[in-house]
Amino acid sequence: MKRRELIALLVVGFCRALPGAPGSWAQPGSQLRFCIHSEPKTLNPLLVDDDASETIRYLTGGVLVRLNRMTQQLQPELAIAWKMNRAGDAISFTLRKNVRFSDGTPFSAADVAYTIHRLMDPAMHSPTGDSFRFGNGEVETRMGGEDRIYIKFPAPIAGLDKLFDQVAILSVNSPNREMAVLGPYYVAENKAGSYLLLKRNANYWKRDSAGRQLPYIESIHIDIEQNRDIEMLRFERGEIDFIDSLSAENYDRLAARAPATIHDAGVSMDAEQIWFNQFPNAPLPDYKKAWFASARFRSAISESIHRADLARVVFHGHAQPAVSWISPANRFWFDARLRPYPFDQKSALRLLTQDGFSLRNGVLYDRSGRTVEFSLITNAGNSSRERMAAMIQQDLAGVGIRLNIVTLDFPSLLERITRSYAYEACLLGLVNNGLDPDAQMNVWLSSGENHIWNPNQKTPATAWEAEIDRLMRAQASTMEAKKRKEAVDEVQEIVWRQAPFIYLVNKDALVAVSTNLHNVHPVALQPQVYWNIEQLWMGPTRRRDR
Amino acid sequence: MRTPGRFWLRALARHTARMLLVLMLGGFLGATLARMAPGFGQDAEELDSRLSRESVAALRQARGEDESLPGFYVHFLGRMVRGDLGQSQTLQEPVRQLLAERFPETLESVGLGLALGWAAGLGLAIAAVMWRSAWADLTAGLAASVLLCVPAAVLALLFVIIQAPGRLVIGLIVFPKIFQFARNLLLRAASLPHVLTARAKGLGGLRVLIRHILPVAGPQLLALAGVSVSLALAAAIPVEVLCDLPGIGQLAWKAAMGRDLALLVDLTMIVTLITLVANTGAELLARRPREGGA
Repeated sequence: MKRRELIALLVVGFCRALPGAPGSWAQPGSQLRFCIHSEPKTLNPLLVDDDASETIRYLTGGVLVRLNRMTQQLQPELAIAWKMNRAGDAISFTLRKNVRFSDGTPFSAADVAYTIHRLMDPAMHSPTGDSFRFGNGEVETRMGGEDRIYIKFPAPIAGLDKLFDQVAILSVNSPNREMAVLGPYYVAENKAGSYLLLKRNANYWKRDSAGRQLPYIESIHIDIEQNRDIEMLRFERGEIDFIDSLSAENYDRLAARAPATIHDAGVSMDAEQIWFNQFPNAPLPDYKKAWFASARFRSAISESIHRADLARVVFHGHAQPAVSWISPANRFWFDARLRPYPFDQKSALRLLTQDGFSLRNGVLYDRSGRTVEFSLITNAGNSSRERMAAMIQQDLAGVGIRLNIVTLDFPSLLERITRSYAYEACLLGLVNNGLDPDAQMNVWLSSGENHIWNPNQKTPATAWEAEIDRLMRAQASTMEAKKRKEAVDEVQEIVWRQAPFIYLVNKDALVAVSTNLHNVHPVALQPQVYWNIEQLWMGPTRRRDR
Repeated sequence: MRTPGRFWLRALARHTARMLLVLMLGGFLGATLARMAPGFGQDAEELDSRLSRESVAALRQARGEDESLPGFYVHFLGRMVRGDLGQSQTLQEPVRQLLAERFPETLESVGLGLALGWAAGLGLAIAAVMWRSAWADLTAGLAASVLLCVPAAVLALLFVIIQAPGRLVIGLIVFPKIFQFARNLLLRAASLPHVLTARAKGLGGLRVLIRHILPVAGPQLLALAGVSVSLALAAAIPVEVLCDLPGIGQLAWKAAMGRDLALLVDLTMIVTLITLVANTGAELLARRPREGGA
């Protein structure tokens, strides 16, 4: 071997040995490919409300501060410093200088002011904007030159700084409007219903420790593929580079075939839960409404379900019994004192007896002599939920309850739980990506649209709901983290006792990543794989063309 | 006595009027079904706990829930007259643009599928009838029976797994129907007395086929051609969805899943129009010799 070749080999070997360093393997023309499961409903970052659009916003949007998905701490991005006032209703940012949008338009405080005013425009109906909407009045912005901005909101907002993680800054001057971006990529091509092509933003401001401009990967090809099995097939063929939120079956399949590709990032933010319809005007017989309104009945159901079995059988051990509306993945806000309901059918029957139910010949009767039977709706096509429902059916048979499982397509299910209220119980996973409990105000306030077991109450229907209202408002009105935590812990305990939601399991964050993709550190928060997209790089590709 | 020109004019006018009526009816029924389907106007976004009550209301309004069905249809027709096919709610693009992007893909898939299905189906039917080959008849019959039993989606999935071109699936869906119908038609025509006489007189197989069998079976084969277009279009939906071919079939699936009223109605009308044109064309061609010669 010639001396020059030997030196080249040694250099390549050295670069490969450096963990996390792109070295000479970050190829020009490299392309990351993955699937999203629905069409992004919007490319306007202010209107993002679905996972697919959030993916595009995360990859293209430049934000003032970013929540580091690994440390769960805020880190500077377009803002190099920020400070909130004591009242919690104002924040000032010092902005990074010499930053340009993807089309070359300079970035300044005027862009931040423009973005905030558009975000808070009531006519926009921006979900991100609604997170900032507390109290009546106008938002006020004051610029201090090109690189300073002060933003004052009408009322205090708990966790105000963290909300800016979702605010992608728009350009006030660019003729390309929201298509001019400050993030690592920009949308180069969008074939509706088929794919999106993102290309590297040549004006992206971030550089690595060696001074090289980020991101390393040249382009991202995002296919819209609803079918998870086909996504898996394509991953195995090397046509895509990773799968987020992998199912337990596919995880185990890959564990046997390609163990180097799988990662279990621990418990995720996702919870699977059951709730009973407690809406007073629901088209249900009164005796069933009475069952569902009883905390003892709900607790008995909760105690009758073997959560550990659900985690073991349905999720192949990649899940853990759930206890609260806040996942253990949310390190600060989770109440670690809570324990999951134990599987104890004797205790469940004692609770039911106290409510006038009786078990005769393996069948449970209420105090009027009616057999206890109800239906559980869930979304069709979700095999994990269908299996969970089947196991819950078996568990409830152990206390003499007959459960009928009804699977519906998602829009039909949604219609039942939000409009017609023609359902008895529902099994669903309500995803919560925000760490701050304020993001769930609409779920816990009894007047909330998403207080899903009994929404839009004029006055709280029960004393415990009134108490939750008080505590949630209290935590939202104070800026002291300790006081907020105490109030949120108390809400978690009330919810555990009253069981309006019966939490079943928290799934693990399972991902599959091609061995060609480097510097990947999967996390429990979304996005699980590409949260550090700028730092990812591709090795020599083994991908076959489609 | 009617001239061929007058015959064509009258037939075209009659069929065009009928097509327009069926088209309107198809569109209205499509809109009615989509509007009445459970879950119409629902969006998972409503479960977003960040949304204010006003935003949820705005979201519902944007989904067109408040608009009555006749109201929708009047607006829809008004727009259509101006050449505006509306906006897809799920894909957030003008329907006209979506159709322009995706129509060539489906045209290619369906065209290839039809060509393949007809070539194989008619070819094997002719072989089975003309050469009275028991082997060809049995093999093709068995293949046709098996393919008739397998749903298009299963075939498409199989092609995805073996990494074969998905477009061929449409051919496999069309083939058994063509083979079975064509074989029966040709058999019946081949057993007619004048065909037997021609054979007895020593006419060659090809001449018998072209001059005596096909003219008899021709009108029904043309009708079958019209039907096969609808068959191929129907097969295009699962095939394009599973094989990830960005055509009209995939668009129809997405529209149905998203309860996308404007897109669904447009697609219903387009598929109805294609089917009607194919069937009408076949019918006119088949009737021409009889009526034209009257």
